Amino acid sequence: MLSIIKSDLYRISKGKAIYIVILIILILNIVSAVGLDAGHIGLSVGTNIDVTDTETLAQISSVNSISDYRKLMKSFGTFPLDKDVIGQNVNLYYLFIVIVVIILCTDFSNKSIKNTLSSAISKRKYYLSKLFLILGLSTIIVLFNNYSFYLINLIINGKAFTSSLIDIGKYTVVQLPLIYGIISMLCCFAFIFRKTSIFNTVTIPFIMAFQLIVTGIINLFHIKADWFFNYEFQYALVNLVNNPTTSYIIKCTLLGIFYIIFFNIIGYYLFKKTDIN
Amino acid sequence: MKDIILKTNELTKKYKDFTALDHVNLTINKGDIYGLIGRNGAGKTTLMKIITTLTNKTSGEFELFKVMDNDLTEAKRKVGCLIENPAFYPNLTAYQNLKYYAIQKGIVDLKQIDEALTLVSLQQVKNKKFKTFSLGMKQRLGIAFAIMDNPDFIILDEPINGLDPIGISELRDTFKKLNEEKNITILISSHILSELYALANKFCIIEKGKIIKQLTKEELDLECSKCIVIKTDDIKKASNVIETDLKTTNYKVIDKNEIRLYDYLNNADKVNKTLSKKDINIMSLYETGISLEDYFKNLLKEAK
Repeated sequence: MLSIIKSDLYRISKGKAIYIVILIILILNIVSAVGLDAGHIGLSVGTNIDVTDTETLAQISSVNSISDYRKLMKSFGTFPLDKDVIGQNVNLYYLFIVIVVIILCTDFSNKSIKNTLSSAISKRKYYLSKLFLILGLSTIIVLFNNYSFYLINLIINGKAFTSSLIDIGKYTVVQLPLIYGIISMLCCFAFIFRKTSIFNTVTIPFIMAFQLIVTGIINLFHIKADWFFNYEFQYALVNLVNNPTTSYIIKCTLLGIFYIIFFNIIGYYLFKKTDIN
Repeated sequence: MKDIILKTNELTKKYKDFTALDHVNLTINKGDIYGLIGRNGAGKTTLMKIITTLTNKTSGEFELFKVMDNDLTEAKRKVGCLIENPAFYPNLTAYQNLKYYAIQKGIVDLKQIDEALTLVSLQQVKNKKFKTFSLGMKQRLGIAFAIMDNPDFIILDEPINGLDPIGISELRDTFKKLNEEKNITILISSHILSELYALANKFCIIEKGKIIKQLTKEELDLECSKCIVIKTDDIKKASNVIETDLKTTNYKVIDKNEIRLYDYLNNADKVNKTLSKKDINIMSLYETGISLEDYFKNLLKEAK
């Protein structure tokens, strides 16, 4: 199993994708630090500034330059920008897709998986090696994102806009089970769809489409849906960095563990049954 | 007694209503070059995929290096294979691709990569990316992957596809050398009969998932060589007459109505007269001698 992981690390180091991922993280972090804004995808907003307030919105929309925007944001007072950025770690979802593609989907797309399975390793060990490597690399990406932003933010905005290193660690740890759950879901999808093109077609819009469909149903049928805003992946990541209760952290952790077990059982079962072409 | 490398027992693979492999029984001994002959879709690749665990069998069983098919992890380490088209990472070079698999297989001595590349004449282009390779070069790299790590058993599915005549000849020599010098057992499939004939010492003809004939090279030579076919309803008496009156033992009883005589090839008339004199009812008597292709076609016709 270790040899599969080592060989994949060798292969990844020879490609460009992982370096592009690192570059994207750095660029996003610099943009967020300079713009004093975490930026987000999807529906949830994790900023410390109340952007639902119409007066604030009018002020934000009236600024014409980044320097004016920075002045405006600073006028609202200081706030831990790094906490906002970590709250928006759902942005990393797209980088997790890249990781799954380079580690797993390329094997299926190039059909090089048959070389590995035919003479080196069993399907079970293959599945576990790939899963562990994807989880490992994703953890490094999360850590790199969180701590590199901490440093960049400290350099650009100073201490007034940063949390403590311990807090960054706490935010990271409480988010990880849910992140692992979502990565397990991506791995499961990769083993189901196998071809990179189909995997990308499904996973790229998935997280937004899921939110839109569920919120659409909630609004249409006037369903009381606190559970959704508490435990949906994107909302949960924001909630987990905003002084959550211990019971909320435990529930999110259990939800993450459930995702990990559920998606890996399905993924492995389907992979085991699949004939490799 | 020779060591058995692969033994299948009633191996079957079904895809819904389609039977790709139908109760296949075969045995490959150590040192064999076992040629699998069949048309496209006959079941050659399916058989190889089951052996290499890429495809799950529907029923039956097989053993590889005397290990049953439910725990082949260690046995598979002694196997090198090239199944269907060679598949590698397009953005890695030939050397990097092989190094990737060398790490995976736990090969410490990386000289083996260069040795394998040299054997398939790819040493000069080892730093070229796989995506720039021609079909023949890709095929060679696939073979280099299969022979890297000195396997005891090599499985090659249509390995000469896309190769030029000189390349085919060189690879044939390489396979023979590996077989003779290192006693490596080879299972090779092809639909180029002449090539398979030049390489293998045992043949298995497969059609619609069923094995229709297994024979050694000597037997194949005998089947295809020039002979007089005698069809009669009294094989025993005819055999006696051939031995006593025609004074030859160079004949073979094919079935209860057919004898093949490999002498008197230009004197069929004498054979006919001699048998007739002894009151043997001859249903037909003719000279024959068929090419590999014709032999293969006839077998397929009979199988239908």
